[in-house]
Amino acid sequence: MTFLSASAAPASANPVSVVPTVAPAASAMVELRAVTKRYGQFEALHRIDLSIAKGEFVTLLGPSGSGKTTLLNLIAGMIMPSSGQIVIDGRDATGLPTNQRGLGMVFQNYALMPHMTVFENIAFPLQVRGLARSEIKRKVTDVLDLIQLGHVAGRRPRELSGGQQQRVSLARCIVYNPALILMDEPLGALDKKLREQMQLEIKRLHAELGITMLYVTHDQDEALTMSDRIVLMNGGRIEQEGPPDTLYFKPETVFSAEFIGSSNLIPGEVEAVENGTVTLRTALGRFPVPAPDRPVRAGEPAVLLVRPENMVLTDRPGPTGVTGRIEDSILLGGVVRHFLRCADGTTVIVQELNQPGRAGARRDDTVRAAWSVEHGRLLPPPPAR
Amino acid sequence: MTSSSLSLDHSSAHPSAQSSGATSGLGPWSAILLLAPLTLLMLGILLYPLGLTVWTSLYDGQLSVRAYGELATSTLFLKVLRNTIEIAVTGTLVSLVFGYPVALHLAAQPPRRRTACLIMVMLPFWTSILVKSFALVAVFGNQGLLNQLLGYLSGGQVNLPMMFNRVGVVLGMINFLLPFMILSILGSLLALDRRLVLAAETMGAGALRIFWKVILPLSMPGVVAGVLINVTLSIGMYITPALLGGRQDMMVANLVDFYTRQTLDWPAASATAVVLLAISGLLVAMLGRVRGGGLPGGAA
Amino acid sequence: MNPLFGSSAIARRVVTAAAWVCYVFLLVPSLIVVPISFGNAGQIEFPPREFSLALYRQFFTDPAWWGSMVQSLFVAVTTTALALLLAVPAAYALARSNLPGRGLLRGLFMMPMLVPVIVLGLGLYLQFSDWGLLDTTLGVVLAHVMLTTPYIMISVMSGLQHSDVALETVASIMGASRRTIFFRVVLPQLGPSIAVGALFAFLMSLDEVVVAYFLTGTDSMTLPVKMYSSIRWELTPVLAAVSTLLTVLSLLIALGIIALQRKTEAQS
Repeated sequence: MTFLSASAAPASANPVSVVPTVAPAASAMVELRAVTKRYGQFEALHRIDLSIAKGEFVTLLGPSGSGKTTLLNLIAGMIMPSSGQIVIDGRDATGLPTNQRGLGMVFQNYALMPHMTVFENIAFPLQVRGLARSEIKRKVTDVLDLIQLGHVAGRRPRELSGGQQQRVSLARCIVYNPALILMDEPLGALDKKLREQMQLEIKRLHAELGITMLYVTHDQDEALTMSDRIVLMNGGRIEQEGPPDTLYFKPETVFSAEFIGSSNLIPGEVEAVENGTVTLRTALGRFPVPAPDRPVRAGEPAVLLVRPENMVLTDRPGPTGVTGRIEDSILLGGVVRHFLRCADGTTVIVQELNQPGRAGARRDDTVRAAWSVEHGRLLPPPPAR
Repeated sequence: MTSSSLSLDHSSAHPSAQSSGATSGLGPWSAILLLAPLTLLMLGILLYPLGLTVWTSLYDGQLSVRAYGELATSTLFLKVLRNTIEIAVTGTLVSLVFGYPVALHLAAQPPRRRTACLIMVMLPFWTSILVKSFALVAVFGNQGLLNQLLGYLSGGQVNLPMMFNRVGVVLGMINFLLPFMILSILGSLLALDRRLVLAAETMGAGALRIFWKVILPLSMPGVVAGVLINVTLSIGMYITPALLGGRQDMMVANLVDFYTRQTLDWPAASATAVVLLAISGLLVAMLGRVRGGGLPGGAA
Repeated sequence: MNPLFGSSAIARRVVTAAAWVCYVFLLVPSLIVVPISFGNAGQIEFPPREFSLALYRQFFTDPAWWGSMVQSLFVAVTTTALALLLAVPAAYALARSNLPGRGLLRGLFMMPMLVPVIVLGLGLYLQFSDWGLLDTTLGVVLAHVMLTTPYIMISVMSGLQHSDVALETVASIMGASRRTIFFRVVLPQLGPSIAVGALFAFLMSLDEVVVAYFLTGTDSMTLPVKMYSSIRWELTPVLAAVSTLLTVLSLLIALGIIALQRKTEAQS
């Protein structure tokens, strides 16, 4: 088994290693081709193909163990792929040592040199590149102004707050203008308020400087806020990739739907397909659902997704709705979330805007939750585990 | 097994995959370059002389175990071996009996006072053994401080011989061994969960019962390690018996010196040294097991 | 109040009394040499009847004494320098490479601590009499380098364990070479650990007597060897002055080590 799969790998990677720069790579900053990483029998990454355009802000999102950090470390050159090819800025970087890849990286724990001042920390990569003393001073001063930390240039990192340290660590990357900046959960150690502030700051720097950024996080809100494109990872594979709103509104799998945003998932079986509408039979009734892009046949299992904010409590009858008893209602500031217990035991979540003087539904009321047909989305059933 | 190793070989033989795992770690050649000088020193100045000692003990014109045979029948060697074991065991037991209360006392102090008391324990640890030997003679010798005091109190009646005999060796020994014993037991006591003591007390246990049933059993790893360290250190002692003991208190290390310089019998000296090396090797191995078993992941 | 003994006052008193007997027994030998050293030059006295510096004068005017002190300081400084040059790179390589056989090498490097010194003394005596290194400064220095490297290794390895590998990674990503990383990132952070190891090695070499006793003669005699034969054969009061000087030096080194360790703890 293992022997067969391993011997298949060289053959598939051959064509790319012959031609380092093929057409799609021209505008791409990073190009991963069938990159696999194995540790013994365990496959941490399985044949990943990924291309990041110049100037793009891409986020690797996924639960821990999904392979996102492994992928980042592969690009940084800290580990080597078991097979496949990595092209950075049009150059085959697969076997290139870390210090020749021309990258920048920001770590969660900042990784600032404790024995150097803020100024010396930022000057370090420039000294490594052999720049003249006067030029180093000018560049460091400029970048310190950019992050508004000129007044702490002479201090040691541990005298700064967490947010300031992370800004210094960003400045240390920006100052030598690397082709690509890798960020490994850079805001994970900061509190919520500071984190939101830093998210905007990083977005601003990205917009001003146009540097390509690859950002790793397990926080879906962070990914939605910052990215041009999200790459959702699961079990060493790419689950789905696309702009934030595509991932949110058009998830293609149950995993995507559950990982990003909250969701109501109602399993059932396809009864009929006609005129672009699928009829799904579920334990809660028959519902019309817009037909997905992929072909669907009657009799196959499927899952209906409705986002809680697309559900309303209403008395009006319609083709799409369920009835249940309100078990609990929680207030989340601008919105209220109701948990409905349906007859078969399924819980359905309904999210409504919270308005002053709202004569809302009460606990133990039996209500009807409805959605427009076009807000439903038909997903393939999750793979059996 | 076979299939997995085959598949690994394949992946590392692949052109685009580097056989070296990580480039941010140190490459094998630079590592070898950095390790070579110290390795050569240890081969030349540590393993070579040890090998030479073993060789000398086994070779006198031809390979033979005669030197060992002679040791086994030598009354001097057997007496010295018995001395060594007696002194090592006595010194270790005395330092356990006195070291345990010190460790308890230290463990019970608030951190700042503990540091202050620890300095008193550590000072002799840092003092040259020659300084301590000289000072012990000045305190416990026949005209020493203690005998002056005893003579004054008794009107010249009492003068205890406490130096250049067995007592002197043991006194010197425990002065040297105590810090090791105390620190070892202290480690265990500080790791002990104080709430257990509180719980035992809530259930009505008295101080003695708490000690026997809770504190002592839980500090056993430290006690065992301390005892092993003390025995290991004391069986190789050279300076203390030479300076504070009498003619009857010769230990194995002194015998090595005696054979080397007085009788110029190098095979006998070497054989004695090899016996000492074997015993202390055994003790070190036991210590390794105790430490390895006592601490999670300590041995690896 | 005192959770280790429960609330029994008797238990506490017994323990405290026993502990103080030990403190006194441990401290007195280290401290008593100080008053004796300021006493009469003729005999060992405590308490001294008069205050004088006669013993120190005697020490510094007798070439046999201060000569051996100079020799000891020379040996200790040379030993420390060489041991650092050998042990620091080796510790770094052990900590940061995945060379097979690392465990074996580590065992070899730690071995000098585990072998009884008398065995090493004899082995080196046999070896150096073959090699013509008996009674030479080079011989003692070689032996002391071997004996002291484990202490430097331990200190530096623990320093490396506490230093963040991410700093080396980030330096590499920023384009720094191995050399630059070692000299600009690793070494500055290891400073205190290296200093602790160096002080320890210096003190070890300065105090080492058994191996030096086997290897040195009249030409290369170190201070501990001179003290050893003096305590053994004549028990001169000058010993008190030497002991005081050594104790003060040990104390200063110990305080230095404690201060450095505090500093490393504060940093991490």
